[in-house]
Amino acid sequence: MRQPESPIVEFISKIGRALCFLGEILGNIASGRIRFKEVVRESYEQGLQSVIIIILTSFASGAVLALQGYVVLSRLGAKEYIAQLVALSLLREMSPVFTAIIFSAKAGARIAAELGAMNVNDQILATRTLGVDPMEYLVTPKFIACFLVLPILTIISEVVGIFGGYFIGVYEANIPGFSYMSHTINSIRYVDFLSGFAKVFFFSVLIGWICCYQGFFTRGGSSGVGKFTTRAVAFSIIFVILSNALLTKIILTIWQ
Amino acid sequence: MIKVSNLSKRFLDQTVLDDISFDVSKGEIVVILGESGVGKSVLLKHLIGLITPDSGSVYIDNIDITKLSEKRLLKVRKNIGYLFQEGALYDFMNVFENLAFPLVEHTSLDNETIKNKISSILKMVDLEGIEKKYPSELSGGMKKRVGLARAIILDSKILFCDEPTSGLDPIRSRDISDLIRSIVKRLDCACVITSHDIKNSFRIADRLILIKNGKIAAIGSKESIESSDNKFVQEFIS
Repeated sequence: MRQPESPIVEFISKIGRALCFLGEILGNIASGRIRFKEVVRESYEQGLQSVIIIILTSFASGAVLALQGYVVLSRLGAKEYIAQLVALSLLREMSPVFTAIIFSAKAGARIAAELGAMNVNDQILATRTLGVDPMEYLVTPKFIACFLVLPILTIISEVVGIFGGYFIGVYEANIPGFSYMSHTINSIRYVDFLSGFAKVFFFSVLIGWICCYQGFFTRGGSSGVGKFTTRAVAFSIIFVILSNALLTKIILTIWQ
Repeated sequence: MIKVSNLSKRFLDQTVLDDISFDVSKGEIVVILGESGVGKSVLLKHLIGLITPDSGSVYIDNIDITKLSEKRLLKVRKNIGYLFQEGALYDFMNVFENLAFPLVEHTSLDNETIKNKISSILKMVDLEGIEKKYPSELSGGMKKRVGLARAIILDSKILFCDEPTSGLDPIRSRDISDLIRSIVKRLDCACVITSHDIKNSFRIADRLILIKNGKIAAIGSKESIESSDNKFVQEFIS
């Protein structure tokens, strides 16, 4: 009689299966098995679903940064540095991480729930019986769409966040608008933008991988869809935050 | 056309299929009967290569599909139609798109030909004019009919049906059973059906296989099954 696997063996086999899953997606991309029509449809849906919430939260984040900065910097008599504080905080850290977290919660949840529902309703099996590879048709386009959409959403978040700070800087701290913008532009070096932006590509791979994997292997009927979707979002957010700490250290070591 | 040879499968400590062997010829309908959970669907999934057996072989047109890679299996499956219990239609596509999917994937037909083919196949399953409806707007019986239409739209040489009458009322069960029989005879394809619907199985089957504890308890024509002196067979069909 075959015994059930031990937890360690099971954990290692799950890691192996997840890595094979990612390998299969990357293999499809590398060999050009990309369905552009599906990629466009997925990108549109993922982007459209997240953009409004990204705009709202980014504007609020920029405004809060400026408000807090105004209080602290006014004590030091340096309120004109609000623009730098807002721009650098957003570009280097806040926009990439916040956008990735919101994207996980919106688009990531959608990916996991959609694939999960398809799996429990035999639609993924049906794809195979119809002679079509579900990894190529259903998973790879979603993964590529994550990679395309998250960087665009991050740029939107950065621009809108800066305008949130501008709004507070000009109307609350009474900094002239022209002066605020020129401080913003002069404070941003390419390294500030790139050090934050580089992380976004890594986050997009993480989110796409985790959410597609959890959705693709969902089991347990409709309650399973809820369970695996929640797990996909939780894992995405945890890994985004943890990997951000590591990536920040690496990037700061390379680019001061 | 289909030959199953000494097929066995275990899941952990449970033997689901134990040395199963049978064959199915062109134009023949074989119904696999058995109690719920006896492994009928698992057997059907072996026949299309969705599950790999622990031992034994499944030959389709003399090719042992248990030895094929997933990529080669995808090619083999183009010639096989598979009807799932609930239809397994894509819920993000309407009926037209669901039916067009295999045609777009595997043929180079133009839009007009695809449209005509879909119209005629919907007429065949008695569901004309529902092209724009989504699966969520269809009843269980309609979903099965559309699923059946999708399964045969590439003029499949083989048709597998997993519990086609489950969840349907007696009239709908009879209708879909008759529909499957008429389609199989029209396409002259080999057909394997899993079911626990004794009445309709006896109406449409050319041969029946009764499974018990993972083994074949009885195999043969309706008459031979009915006249079997096996106690389990008699108990099951009575």
